[in-house]
Amino acid sequence: MKERIGVYICHCGGNISDYVDVEKVRLAVENDEGVALARTTVFACSDSNQNDMVDDIKKYNLDGVIVASCSPKLHLVTFRNVTERGDLNKYTYVHTNIREQASWAHSDDKTGATEKAIRLVKAAIAKSRYAEPLYPNQFEAEKTIAVIGAGISGMKAAASLSDKNTNVILIEKENKVGGHVATWDSLIMSDEKGSELTNRIYTDLQKRKNVTILTNSEVISSKGSIGDFTLKIRKKAQQIGDPIETAEFKVGSVVVATGFDSYTPKEGEFGFSSYQNVITLPDFKHLIDSSSGKQLEYQGKKINNIAYIYCVGSRQSDGENTYCSRYCCTAVIHAANQAKKKFKNIYNFHFNRGIRTYGKQELLYAESLQQGDIYLQSFEDAPPQVYAENGKTKVKIKDILTKDKELEVEADLIVLVTGMVPRSDSSIGTILKLPKGRDKFFNEIHMKLRPVETVIDGITIAGTCQGPKNIMESVNSALSAAAKSYSYISKGILETEPIVANVDTDLCTWCEKCVEACPFDAIIQKEINGKLIAEINNSVCKGCGMCTPVCPPDAINLINYSSEEIMSMIDALA
Amino acid sequence: MNEERKVIKYDALVIGGGIAGGEAALNLANTGYKVLLVEKDRSLGGKMILLSKVFPTLDCSACITTPKVSEIARHQNITIFTESEVSDIVKKSENNFTAQITKKPRYVRVEDCTACQLCEKACPVSVRDEYQFGLIGRKAAFIPFSIANPKAAAIDIENCTLCGACEKVCPTHCIDFTMETEYYELHTKTVILATGFNLFDPLEIPRYGYGQYKNVITSMQMEREIAPTRPFNTILRPGDGKVPDKIAYVLCTGSRDATVGNPICSQICCMYSIKQAQLLMGALPMADVTIYYINIRSFGKGFEEFYQQAKGMGVNFVKGKIGKINEKEDGNLILTYEDINEGVVKEAEHDMVVLSVGAKSNPTNGKMFGQEKLKLDPFNFIAQDDLQGNPSKTNINGVFVAGTASAPMDIPDSILSAGSASSEAISYLIQHQEA
Repeated sequence: MKERIGVYICHCGGNISDYVDVEKVRLAVENDEGVALARTTVFACSDSNQNDMVDDIKKYNLDGVIVASCSPKLHLVTFRNVTERGDLNKYTYVHTNIREQASWAHSDDKTGATEKAIRLVKAAIAKSRYAEPLYPNQFEAEKTIAVIGAGISGMKAAASLSDKNTNVILIEKENKVGGHVATWDSLIMSDEKGSELTNRIYTDLQKRKNVTILTNSEVISSKGSIGDFTLKIRKKAQQIGDPIETAEFKVGSVVVATGFDSYTPKEGEFGFSSYQNVITLPDFKHLIDSSSGKQLEYQGKKINNIAYIYCVGSRQSDGENTYCSRYCCTAVIHAANQAKKKFKNIYNFHFNRGIRTYGKQELLYAESLQQGDIYLQSFEDAPPQVYAENGKTKVKIKDILTKDKELEVEADLIVLVTGMVPRSDSSIGTILKLPKGRDKFFNEIHMKLRPVETVIDGITIAGTCQGPKNIMESVNSALSAAAKSYSYISKGILETEPIVANVDTDLCTWCEKCVEACPFDAIIQKEINGKLIAEINNSVCKGCGMCTPVCPPDAINLINYSSEEIMSMIDALA
Repeated sequence: MNEERKVIKYDALVIGGGIAGGEAALNLANTGYKVLLVEKDRSLGGKMILLSKVFPTLDCSACITTPKVSEIARHQNITIFTESEVSDIVKKSENNFTAQITKKPRYVRVEDCTACQLCEKACPVSVRDEYQFGLIGRKAAFIPFSIANPKAAAIDIENCTLCGACEKVCPTHCIDFTMETEYYELHTKTVILATGFNLFDPLEIPRYGYGQYKNVITSMQMEREIAPTRPFNTILRPGDGKVPDKIAYVLCTGSRDATVGNPICSQICCMYSIKQAQLLMGALPMADVTIYYINIRSFGKGFEEFYQQAKGMGVNFVKGKIGKINEKEDGNLILTYEDINEGVVKEAEHDMVVLSVGAKSNPTNGKMFGQEKLKLDPFNFIAQDDLQGNPSKTNINGVFVAGTASAPMDIPDSILSAGSASSEAISYLIQHQEA
């Protein structure tokens, strides 16, 4: 039992103290059983307060520490480390969240928020009394890293890991590498073609002894966790009748770089599939790349007027895709500039919703304006309309510059500027249990500061599978993900949390209820003295606690969350 | 120069202690390399540590920056030089760079300072506080800001009258006017440039009246007014201390504007203005907030939704660039603009105007190199030698660029860029390991 607990209540610079009376919370708990010290602090996480906490632990001989502040997702680790610097076992630290759960949730009720904060801190004190020292599980990490997807991101991540003397398995579903970029001709702000760029990286990869490239291959299952994943890979049959080959690989970490799909317009969306001359942005890029001569032609017809309709499949107010696809404004303006350079008699009409050529890409927009491209912007509630009249396709718009007047352009070709959507085949996400965001792209741990890590330890995300990006941004993300994955395995020894499930071998009857409940396949069957029982694989168990309530004889306890601790917390809350 | 130069050795030199430099330093240090992190200011954290909240998550910026900064500061593989500048970086051969470092005296022994602020109270000198962007004053003996790292007093020697009052009250006797500039010669194997960006100076556009009209402020000043460590504890207009109720944002101040030599888009201003507008709606529920824009560029993950949310909260978006601003006698401001949606030139009265200033390159870019010159782009940002294939590569092999030193970008993009630069630096160190 802890008898000298230090409690720190954080203002969070107003985030908490604007709604919760932190001094009142302090007074309410300072005389509680086991509390030796209770303080308030403006920013508990600040360096100076961390130092003060370390000094307090030593000076007042504290045996437990509690910080009441923000979400443990943000600062549990921060304060565990502080506790450790004070020479206490870091798992004796107890975190309680009075920001998201009190001040932010009840900003309309200051008294209530304060009352709730007091109870939450009291519950933490109840838990802290029982907190036992724990020690992380250590094991040796596999030294190979798998990269899934061999587009620009996946190939760059593989090359970067290979540079770091790490063995890489690069897995590609298609029969060739390079992804979308390999199919593109000219790129923005570069003299190099897309295919040249991907060839340059691929040629370099082929020379490397520590990179294994598997094309036509798919991951069909994954077991294990950080440092010790087993991926099952299936190689597609090349010819009918060929046997389907599967192989297993052991890897320490996985970089997911499965990319995006181009949005396919729905039938009739801006005349798509109703009129032959309505095509998508990727189709248009291929058309310009593959055309030569003096006159641009599409399906045997001369093309002079081109209408570009922006934000098709992006920024939808009713549809699924509410997000902006980021790359399309720049991509289409670049393609239109290329078209005009190649064919003198092209007239470009951009039906847009506000041009987003951010950063230096603005220069492409300026170039386009200079060469006389016409930009027409629709009102938000009135998108342009595509229709046919006397065998001609036309685009009609209420342009914001001309206010009430309707403008109409006779277009020989209509390009739907289609955005990026998540892969329709998201099986890899299911296999690796990766969470998705509102936009259905894979989600990072923290949007601002941890953009390539996922909540699944050991798995990083690179490139457009995380959200729309251009090539440069994808490569930055790939190299970041490679560095992060490398850091997991580079030390050889991995530590995992000691907070795992624990089976009482006497009580367990091997009913398999826990096996069904476990989302991580961490429970295996074991025989002890002729009796079948459940055993927890500590390196796989995440300590989620799903198995504990379903166990009929109550044989499973979660370390650090024993029934004793939880009941005492509930008593304190009530 | 004849000064004695102390020779020091590190695996990597990271220039700039903002979020990009900090992230790059941490990645290298966590991989086991010894890093020297050089920052010219008195604290780590760059511009991010001074922000209010960040878009589109509305995380409190201090809450997510300070732990990162604290991790950098206490990392055993990272040595930090604040108030220091790097010059004459010379590449002798692969894996072998030298650089000269000048460490200015703080006149306070940081390790002894307890940040008790007694010196601040004693100091008779008052000057404008650059960390509050001139909104309030500070002393010449002062703690830079409450969450600064290192959190220790510093003497602003240019404004100090050498009266000695601070020395007398200091309980730990950590103020030391005999401290001198220290000179170092650094030997290192790789260099990461994370020198950040400068805010556009709105004095370059006199028709907006910044510096002349008291109630025209910059977005960074507004950022301070709504930050948790805010100077006034509420939002005030500087002219007369009135709480504003009709606030205007002027987007593209110094961006997308060839007349001030900056035709490119700064990439962050639309979003930070929308964020500030949302925070103002929360802090001043009765206030009207209007954003005057050319195009709204909410292009990143979750940004478009954040923009739509602002519209839903009642932020007023007007498409039209502000032509000029005039001041009325009561301190209110008349904005003249062309309302694009209606096709007419209009005037609007606001009681406070926020100029959403853009991001310009750091003028010291490129000046730090001797012999082989660092290549810059036409806007004085550090040129990316292989933009698509290897974005952090500069024209000098072994020198990498991170964050806004190469182009304007937001925090997640800076983190990715820093991850990319440190990843390449780690590869470079491994590939050039002595056998």
